[in-house]
Amino acid sequence: MLTYLIRRLLLMIPTLIGVTAVVFFVIALSPGGIGASLLSSEGTMRPEERRVREAYLKARYDLDKPLIVQYLKWFNKVTPVGVKPAGRGFPQSWKFGLKAPDLGESFSFHRPVMDLIGECLPITLLLECLSLPLIYLIAIWTGIRAARARGKFVDVGLGTILLALYSMPEIWAGVMMIGFLTNKVDYVHWFPSNGLHDVLADSMPFLPAWSSAGFERGWLLDMAWHLCLPIICLSYGSFAFLSRLQRGALLETLDQDYVRTARAKGLGERAVLYRHAFRNSLMPLITVAANILPGLIGGSVIVETIFGIQGMGKLTIDSVNARDRELLLSLTLIASLLQLVGNLVADLSYAVADPRVSFVD
Amino acid sequence: MPIDALQSEELVAQAALGPSPSRSLLRQAILDTAGAAGARVGLTWLLFLGFLAVFSPFLATSHPLLMKQHGHWSSAVLRNLTRADVLLLVATAAALLLAVTRRFAFVASLSILAAVEILAAIPVYVWVKPPENVVYQQYRDGMTDGKIEKAVFAPVPFSPNDRLRDQPDVRLKPPGRIHWLGTDTNGSDVLSNLMHASRIALSIGFIATALSVVIGVIVGGVMGYYAGTIDLVGMRLIEIIEAVPRLFLLISITAFIQKRNIYLMMAVIGLTSWTGYARFLRAEFFTLRKLDFVQAAVAAGLPRRSILFRHMLANGLTPILVSTTFGVASAILYESILSFLGLGLIDEASWGALLQQARAGGSGFIWWIATFPGLAIFLTVFSYNLVGESIRDALDPRLRKRN
Repeated sequence: MLTYLIRRLLLMIPTLIGVTAVVFFVIALSPGGIGASLLSSEGTMRPEERRVREAYLKARYDLDKPLIVQYLKWFNKVTPVGVKPAGRGFPQSWKFGLKAPDLGESFSFHRPVMDLIGECLPITLLLECLSLPLIYLIAIWTGIRAARARGKFVDVGLGTILLALYSMPEIWAGVMMIGFLTNKVDYVHWFPSNGLHDVLADSMPFLPAWSSAGFERGWLLDMAWHLCLPIICLSYGSFAFLSRLQRGALLETLDQDYVRTARAKGLGERAVLYRHAFRNSLMPLITVAANILPGLIGGSVIVETIFGIQGMGKLTIDSVNARDRELLLSLTLIASLLQLVGNLVADLSYAVADPRVSFVD
Repeated sequence: MPIDALQSEELVAQAALGPSPSRSLLRQAILDTAGAAGARVGLTWLLFLGFLAVFSPFLATSHPLLMKQHGHWSSAVLRNLTRADVLLLVATAAALLLAVTRRFAFVASLSILAAVEILAAIPVYVWVKPPENVVYQQYRDGMTDGKIEKAVFAPVPFSPNDRLRDQPDVRLKPPGRIHWLGTDTNGSDVLSNLMHASRIALSIGFIATALSVVIGVIVGGVMGYYAGTIDLVGMRLIEIIEAVPRLFLLISITAFIQKRNIYLMMAVIGLTSWTGYARFLRAEFFTLRKLDFVQAAVAAGLPRRSILFRHMLANGLTPILVSTTFGVASAILYESILSFLGLGLIDEASWGALLQQARAGGSGFIWWIATFPGLAIFLTVFSYNLVGESIRDALDPRLRKRN
């Protein structure tokens, strides 16, 4: 198991190098490259201003060097193992060895990328860690309901509704939820429209409490209230998908011989379902966990943009709008890393759920 | 966020196909019809969209269909048709003709269609020259001061880029008698925008998916047939592309493209979505390779082209073709997401871009701009998923055996 884990972790390295290389070259090879993108974002400029800015951009991004050199320089900066300057003095001498990885400085925020990611990653992870169990719990429950009522009205109706939910674009759902449920003027104001906290959240007590001023919702409840809509928006598509999967898997398991045996020896329907069939029907759900996670990461881009939550997704959109190469490359790196780790976790949990699967060669 | 369409649908297909208990024949029949009814509803909506995609230049335009000026009749619509409009009309006419005559097989029809388009492209390119600057106001002025004596207007008499700049009070009008679905922040008609955007959505969906299938089939086929080093390199490539969440990849690519047009969007979406098909075909070819009929074909000395395409591909293509329906749905979804994020087409009507306007401008929430484009995206994606499900069920041998 440990060998397998180490091998998988090592295999991530070439994949991550490939990922950054692909994104880097896409950015560099896009018409005009990064220089043109940044220049044009500045609008009209006087010729000398333009020249100064061009020279600055060239120096900053090494645009006059060949692409491969540009990439290698960036890559060297990012890796924990690489070339680093050794000693002072001139000419500069270089040493190969361990060093602190440096994701560079964001062009638009004027801050180290590491700090920005440090602030945004926990928020996205929070969104994901809250929606993932929710998705699975509801999906398993509705999947079982549908499978037990196979062919009946409940089953067919649920199937259609779930397919519709699965087809519903998140951008639409998010905009509609904000529009109708957080609108003080025309509709109802059940939820806050924006952000993760109230403006006054910092002065709130942590837990809800009754004080002389009446009920105070407190920091935690305030956050939960702010999280409601984003989490619904983030999870309904995956939940609809998984629920259909669970239904199919359970139906298949219920037709197995051992289930018939269980029924034949007189076990009750609940025992057959939950003790015998249920665990085996979980396999497809675990396999797709590897697909759900990237879906959630991509979904966080949409949800965070719509609900104004400063997480990784919002940061990505910001970096894209500012043509911030350093930030975008690092974000892609982190997103890919999350995805690869998700794949690995899915594979490992597969072995946990099914004792027949083992990674020992 | 939709999960990678092919992989996920495969999984659903695998999971959903347990043998069913004996149902009464009547119930079976009812359920089958219900399933088919879903497909029929989906197909109806898609056909309607296709109709809009082809004929929206005539159905929603500020140009009069016919007008009488200085005593003689002319058609402003025809003069302002773009090349794409004309080519699409030619293709539709040819396709209808082929479908009615039923003279040719499907593949032959496709090649005839392509030939007609290529032949038509030259005269269209030479002769169709729509004016670059269009002043829609001339028609309104002409109608009021009597320069245009008589005119027949389209059912929706507004072009999507007819922004009614001269009438500031028309901006953000709720649905009403003149603007059936209201107007947007620029004062252009929402319904007209929706109708014209259906062409963009459908064409991006189709062509991006076709592109990804072609790439996926070629890469997957080559990997599966040759195995060894080629397979290893290809698999690494697929892993790299799949390691980046697809929306991230799309965003990073489109953001750095300066002049985004519809062809670039098709290419970008197509180029990021072929891995599922390649993976599938590779696995399929691995098993096919060892089967007797392929071995026999190799032993008979058939050319490699023939073995790959005539013998192996014919056996592995059906599941891929079924999943293209889901591929089209997700391509349309991704296009609308990109447009929504401001990374889509520039200065063209698009459902996603329109939806984004619902909250833009700081004027609160504009329900008609949010509801109708979103509904259009939803209905289209839903239709494709419904149709895809029915096709998959109909083609699945395990299901067919049961019936």
